[in-house]
Amino acid sequence: MSALIVRRLTPTALAETVLGPEVETVVTNAHRNTLAARFRAVATDRHRRLDAWSVESAGRPPAPFRWSPVTARRRLANAALRRLATGARSIRLGVDLEIAELVACAAEGRLGAGSLGAWLAARDPAELAVVRAAAADWATTLAELSSAIQGDWHVARADAYYDVERARTTLRARQDIIVGPHEAVVRVRGGEPSASAGPGLRADLVAATFASDDGRAPRRYVGVWPDAGLLVALDGTMDNLRAGARDLVRTAVVQRQRWLRRDAA
Amino acid sequence: MPSVILASPTSLLEALRGDPSRRPPRDRATAAGLRAVLEDGLFEISHGQTRPAPLVIGPDHVTGGADVVDINRATYGRLRGTLVAQLVRLYVAGYRPRDPVDAAVRAWQIDGPSAELAAAFTVLDDDSRSRLATDVAAHAGSLAQVLREAPAGWAVRSAVRTRLRLGGGTIVLRDVVDLVVGVEHQATASVVLVDVTTAPIGERTDAALRFHALTHTLRTSATPLRAATFSTATGELASCEVDYALLDRAVRELLDTIGARWTP
Repeated sequence: MSALIVRRLTPTALAETVLGPEVETVVTNAHRNTLAARFRAVATDRHRRLDAWSVESAGRPPAPFRWSPVTARRRLANAALRRLATGARSIRLGVDLEIAELVACAAEGRLGAGSLGAWLAARDPAELAVVRAAAADWATTLAELSSAIQGDWHVARADAYYDVERARTTLRARQDIIVGPHEAVVRVRGGEPSASAGPGLRADLVAATFASDDGRAPRRYVGVWPDAGLLVALDGTMDNLRAGARDLVRTAVVQRQRWLRRDAA
Repeated sequence: MPSVILASPTSLLEALRGDPSRRPPRDRATAAGLRAVLEDGLFEISHGQTRPAPLVIGPDHVTGGADVVDINRATYGRLRGTLVAQLVRLYVAGYRPRDPVDAAVRAWQIDGPSAELAAAFTVLDDDSRSRLATDVAAHAGSLAQVLREAPAGWAVRSAVRTRLRLGGGTIVLRDVVDLVVGVEHQATASVVLVDVTTAPIGERTDAALRFHALTHTLRTSATPLRAATFSTATGELASCEVDYALLDRAVRELLDTIGARWTP
């Protein structure tokens, strides 16, 4: 398993870190079958979703999700940056356009009751202003950090999801910036990296690799924590993929034990 | 010492940004030196001993604000400060509410208030709530005179958080700066930190300002151009250029604070 790279976060450091080693790691159908068999061995009567956060928190159930400026900012910010790339005059305008579109979709009944659009549509102007500010701040930070990245990169349209075949399991990889077709994936988080930031990144690496059509792993997976001024990265090697897959399966085991204990109580 | 000037009714941010052609080159070397001095100082305090939980240090600890004995007064002050901080976000985002107090409360509540402050707000009696509303409205008036929506190119960010670990994780520095203006990684230093306080400007606000400059430098590895505090109580603006002397003093103040609070 290759070592974690930990660096002070600057645009230059990020631009250098996304340039991973010239190795190509590909997962085959045999790997997919093995992963599915491992998850199927951890029987479950309900669908499980596993991601970096569940690995880092050892399968602890998350608090019930609710929309807030903090939970909405990433999606709005990424959308604003995509709009900026396609002609929006400023980040703030990009955020406004995205909010307007989501609210319009909600008004036309094209979004569900728990969707971001429906939540935004129910906000008063002061609340909406805070959401706009939070999203614009997040987008400004992301735009500045990515400013030194060379070559072909874009803001991810969505996180990567991989449904493990006949195992009632979905893996999710958080991704914000994608460099090249398979060069690097950057994901940005608030707060500071936890002691298990490495296993979290490996879990993201596994989900992103298995979710890609051709099974090629990104050469680098980079976690960025602007609040802490740090970045943590790892190489897309087979060793890291194996370690990440083991962590995900272990998390499924722990999660199942928690469910069984809760059901028994 | 920061220079104190009475804020004119022009834009606060415009005044603080100053003339872009006179900015010094960005200082990328100081942050590493400060980290080394801090780590050496921490080792002298801790002698390599660890703690069961990290010692969390914020601007209140450095300024002595965390040692205020009157808990009711401290909570009232924090509530007022929190609501005014929300107004800063709203004004910079270009939203000018007719009822600033109501808008600030709504913005605060949706932003996920701390359980402690939310509980304190809920149990306020009618008199205290009216007093808080009058107080916040007065501060909002002062703020509205000088704070306008900033141009998009200025890269304004509000409520910028910092959370840094030092001494192998035994110390956590936490900080929130109300406004950060400017692009952090340019050839010239261009970032201005603005702290908005509801207290009059004094020794405490100066120490907080130095703490903000230090945490920003450690987080971004680049020294900001300027740090400033705007008092909504008096309309005064205290501003200073961030240089090595200021950051060195901030390091010494931080080490003194940690030394006074350190227990293995």
